[in-house]
Amino acid sequence: VILLRPMAGHGDDHSMSFSTKARSLESHLPIIRKLAKARARPPESSNEDVLQLDQDLPQHRLLQAHVLPLLMSLMCVGLVTALLLLFDRALAFNLVPIAYLIPVIVAATRWGIWPATLASIAGTGAADFFFIPPLYSFQVSDPQEAVDLLLFLIVALVSSNLASRLRRETEALRQREREIQHLYEFSRLLAACFTVSDLISAIQKYLSRALGQQAAFFAATADGRFEPGESGTVPKAVQARIAAMTPATGVPSYTVVDPPTQNVWLLGTVCSETTVHGLVAVNIAGSSREAVAIKKRRVEAVLEEVSLTFARLDIEKAMEDARLHLQAQLLRDAFHGTLSHELCTPLAAIRGSASVLDSMPAIREDHRIHSLVGDISDEVVQLDGFIQNLLNATRVTAGGISPHLEWTDPRDIVNAALKARARRLMAHRIEVEFADDLPLINVDSGLIEESCGQLLENAAKYSPSGSTISIGTRAEQGHVILSISDQGVGIAPDEQQQLGRRSFRSERHRTTIPGSGLGVWIASTFVRANGGTIDISSRGQGQGTTASIALPGSEKDSDLSQ
Amino acid sequence: MNKPSNVVLLIDDEPKIRRFLRAGFELHGFSVLEAENAEDGLKAATFNAPDLIILDLALPDLHGTEVLERLRSWSNVPIIILSVVSDEDEKVRLLQAGADDYVVKPFGMAELLARSEAALRRYFKSATENPVVTAGPLSVDLVGRTVSLNKNQIRLTRKEYRLLHTLATHVGLVVTHDQLLKEIWSGNQRDNIQYLRILVRKLRQKIETDPNHPRLLVTESGVGYRLQARFEDSSVD
Repeated sequence: VILLRPMAGHGDDHSMSFSTKARSLESHLPIIRKLAKARARPPESSNEDVLQLDQDLPQHRLLQAHVLPLLMSLMCVGLVTALLLLFDRALAFNLVPIAYLIPVIVAATRWGIWPATLASIAGTGAADFFFIPPLYSFQVSDPQEAVDLLLFLIVALVSSNLASRLRRETEALRQREREIQHLYEFSRLLAACFTVSDLISAIQKYLSRALGQQAAFFAATADGRFEPGESGTVPKAVQARIAAMTPATGVPSYTVVDPPTQNVWLLGTVCSETTVHGLVAVNIAGSSREAVAIKKRRVEAVLEEVSLTFARLDIEKAMEDARLHLQAQLLRDAFHGTLSHELCTPLAAIRGSASVLDSMPAIREDHRIHSLVGDISDEVVQLDGFIQNLLNATRVTAGGISPHLEWTDPRDIVNAALKARARRLMAHRIEVEFADDLPLINVDSGLIEESCGQLLENAAKYSPSGSTISIGTRAEQGHVILSISDQGVGIAPDEQQQLGRRSFRSERHRTTIPGSGLGVWIASTFVRANGGTIDISSRGQGQGTTASIALPGSEKDSDLSQ
Repeated sequence: MNKPSNVVLLIDDEPKIRRFLRAGFELHGFSVLEAENAEDGLKAATFNAPDLIILDLALPDLHGTEVLERLRSWSNVPIIILSVVSDEDEKVRLLQAGADDYVVKPFGMAELLARSEAALRRYFKSATENPVVTAGPLSVDLVGRTVSLNKNQIRLTRKEYRLLHTLATHVGLVVTHDQLLKEIWSGNQRDNIQYLRILVRKLRQKIETDPNHPRLLVTESGVGYRLQARFEDSSVD
């Protein structure tokens, strides 16, 4: 009967059991061999880590881990002695060699070889002292007894060695089985991941379940820091250490001790081949150096597995992107080549014919016919606007915006946008204000005009006839800001976040105001392609809306012309 | 200006477009020739010597750019391009290849007529040599090198005058950035469009009633500038 519990033993035998375990693991799973190889890459750094681990571990925990089993084995020997003393001396004398093997086996199976050795020596001593004449003395009168005692000691030492080795190997086997089981489960979890965020939640779930510890994930930010997620469980000292780290690939994991609780935290980076996605902080509590090493190895194995999955995701994404790109390319070509021609030619005929009709004296004289012809022209212009929107949307989706940058006067852009949307803005009062010292901006003027036009159209669409739309242009900290404010329906807070998504249209206006929901999306994509930003804000429902486009301006000023 | 004798050749494969173009031009006293493909168009241009050619880019047998280049190899007849793409680079290429102007479909007849008149005016101007160009309240004496606004003479710097001069010789027509830069600057300043933008800003201060909303010297975004022959109608067409 061997009781097994993962408990801390002594360093030497454990390091031995690790290596045997690692070897057998390698033969079991090809993936693990790969991991082991990957880990073997930076040997110096992992040595450093072990050293650091020694310094980091608190003293009293070492004592607790090593001294307690020795005391326990001594107590077992004491217990056996006490029981034997209860029996008749003659009976006890016969039982002595067998009875004292019990604490030896127990110590060997539960605490390893050193407590078992101690139990063997203590058992020999106790047998001599209590049961072998002369009693209550360590002297042995009979040489036969001395040989018996010596034999007992040898048998006890050998069996403690055997028992503890058995314990070690069984435990290693169990451990290995558990580890493979966990990795297998984790692999299954990973196989179900299709995005980076899936993966991150899988890591968190796995770490907290398999290791039963607190784990937190810190996403890497673009500016080279780690952004804490829900880091409420992570102590201040660990957070400070994380804040000091910079995301870099190929960094080995660290251990950090949290001074108030003496808990050891393991920090490992989650990265694919080229990019660091974040950092995992795991509380591996405060146990022995070996337990820390086991857990550290386990977390590292998980992270290695994760980077393989990242590589898989990258490949899948690249393939998907390529497929989409091809489709989009085909769609765009079809749209731009054939469809735009097919759509624009009839429109051109209608628009042109209407304009010729419009200039004919016979029609100019008849007010009713004249206004009908005017309607035809208006509707064609509107239809043309929709088609242009679709064409623009196709361009954006196909990733085909390659801005042709050119230094431009922001005034020209605003004027052109106003002119292009003149019909749509006829029912509104337009106020335009230009700052005197506007710098030039380096943009694709066509794209920015279109963005401006989309925003103007929205302003006209979502504000009552006769209200004022004001357009302001000003320079601010090296940027030129074009802002368009209306006195219309405004934006409710819940609509604010969905703004700028393709095809988003507010529930409030879906049935009353026609539109495709492409406007803001096209505008913001075009502005971003020009290195600018777009901001749409409203003080709330019915409070009007202000849309601003910020574009990088030129440093130089008007002294250029001479 | 529009003498009844002006002959316009329409090269377009869409019969409906040709039909309204014919109606529009005839209404304004042009006589009209039609061709439905590049081959017929080139033939008609050779044998009938039109005063103006309206050329569609999308022709069944030959691309419009090719037709334009062939026409330009032997004739400087005014050519106006009809195009469906509003791609600025393409416009600039066409202008550099010798087109006088372009209109983007769908367009109104008034716009095309204005361009046509401007192109014809420039074509005949070189023959008659009338030295004074008027554009709304502005008049530019190309020989006397004087500029007056509402009959009051105004002073321009040398570069401002050169800019206005170049635009005035093409009054009503678009002039590309490259062309303007080459006319006004020399050396490596030629490539710097920022100089041109600032110069235009200064010239507008002197000739426009409201320099922030120019009506005479208008911008053709991504292409160039145009000096309007008349004040633009604020409503479209």
